[in-house]
Amino acid sequence: MRSRLERVGGWVASAVALVPFAWLSVLITVSADATTLRTTLEGALWMALFGTPWAIAARLLWRAWWRQTGSRLAGLDGPAWLLTAAAATLPADRRDWGAAMTAELAQVQDRAARWRFAAGGARAAVFPPRGSPAAVALAGALAVVAVVATALVTGATMPAGRVFALTFVGLVGGLATLTVARSGRVGRAWAGPATAAVALAGVAGCIVATTWYLLEHPTYQKGGLTGVTLPPVTAVVLAVGLAGCLWLALAPPRWLRASPHARRFGIAMAIALAAGLVLASRRYGEVMGYLFIGAVLVVLAGSLAAAAVGRSFRAGVGACVWALALGAPLLVAVWLVEALRVYGRGGGMLLDGDAGGVGLNLGDAVWWSLMLLLLWVLPLGVLGAAAGSAPARRRRPAPSS
Amino acid sequence: MAFFRDQTRQVTAVILALAEHPSTWRYAADLCQRLDLTAGSLYPVLMRLADRGLLETSWEPDVPADRRPRHRYRLSGPGRALAVELAAAPPAAQAGPARAVGRIGRRPWPRPEAT
Repeated sequence: MRSRLERVGGWVASAVALVPFAWLSVLITVSADATTLRTTLEGALWMALFGTPWAIAARLLWRAWWRQTGSRLAGLDGPAWLLTAAAATLPADRRDWGAAMTAELAQVQDRAARWRFAAGGARAAVFPPRGSPAAVALAGALAVVAVVATALVTGATMPAGRVFALTFVGLVGGLATLTVARSGRVGRAWAGPATAAVALAGVAGCIVATTWYLLEHPTYQKGGLTGVTLPPVTAVVLAVGLAGCLWLALAPPRWLRASPHARRFGIAMAIALAAGLVLASRRYGEVMGYLFIGAVLVVLAGSLAAAAVGRSFRAGVGACVWALALGAPLLVAVWLVEALRVYGRGGGMLLDGDAGGVGLNLGDAVWWSLMLLLLWVLPLGVLGAAAGSAPARRRRPAPSS
Repeated sequence: MAFFRDQTRQVTAVILALAEHPSTWRYAADLCQRLDLTAGSLYPVLMRLADRGLLETSWEPDVPADRRPRHRYRLSGPGRALAVELAAAPPAAQAGPARAVGRIGRRPWPRPEAT
């Protein structure tokens, strides 16, 4: 029964991973000027190319999760599921309480009472009390002050960056308040100075470069038309990406802190990703080829090595996630600096060498970096992790179903 | 304000309930039933009391192999002293010591010796 659930779950995970690609494929076909068999086939081919690694990666991730946690959860009823899932989010110093709640639930027999107990326990697990409500209030107040100050400053000096600045400061303030509320203080569960330094350098570099672009080139000209350098959607995506990377680095979830190998390989891959972009830019004057092939090779090899050294799939996936979380801000920052250099020497856009206003580079850097890392590099990193952990898996006895 | 009044009342109720049989270990599900509290209200109170050294906690020993051990609770020495103080105080005056349980950075009662 459980092995059947594992199999079916794997297929479902693959199918779910393919849905966005299938949707994109339909969208491309429908929006083409003239829908021909050729455009339909091309669209389908591209989506199959990007979708297949994700489908396999989703299946691998499901299988790893199932063997670690899922098979244990399969025997539980709804209330026990809810409480176990909520208890898994408890900070390390409160984990005993999660175990206490789940053990106590077993004593409650009536179905409605079980749901009530589980819902209450889940609430207590997701928002455990801290000894320091004043610190939470202070963090919240500081976040509000920072948002107001940002609104005033950007309104007066940099209207083009207002959406980005407000979203970023609001998210960082909110996440810091949440972390203080759940863990007592920021940094209790951080991943070490090297990780924090790389993350802060990447995020700070990104913010400085973005600010410079917005001050010097708030708009760009292309084909006689004027465009905004940082449209609201791109601004929100950049702000969410940077705040998310910062949060992952400063308050990573428990599973990401587990392997020091993963962290070390992740840092090395992040730096290699940024360095590779500089080399590609200096050598070819554009980075499209590097993004599709070079970045994949860096993460694939790094995740494979991390999994082999850590002797686990989880270490490889952890390294891949660290590489992307730390590498994305570095990549965008380096992209923006290199784009200025290439443009200054009479080249075109850093992405592909095409003509366009220098401000266009900001949107290119944000969208191409983030989308390619998520859609293309991440699943291949997962495949690398699976390959790297294969020898260790073969030596281990298979789990009984 | 009603929220904080409720919290204070709950802290008082839990301490007084645990003080009824101070040497007996009690279980969360029984306390929920006895005090008509949800787990969402009871556990934060228990966590706060334990953080401040007012509550002893332990896992049930000698459980059968097919059952998980339960977490059990009873007041520590300082917890019992607080319970006496609360029981002696008129209802209006109970809020002060009970509210102190939720205060920040203060441990008005010493942590009990490990048992």
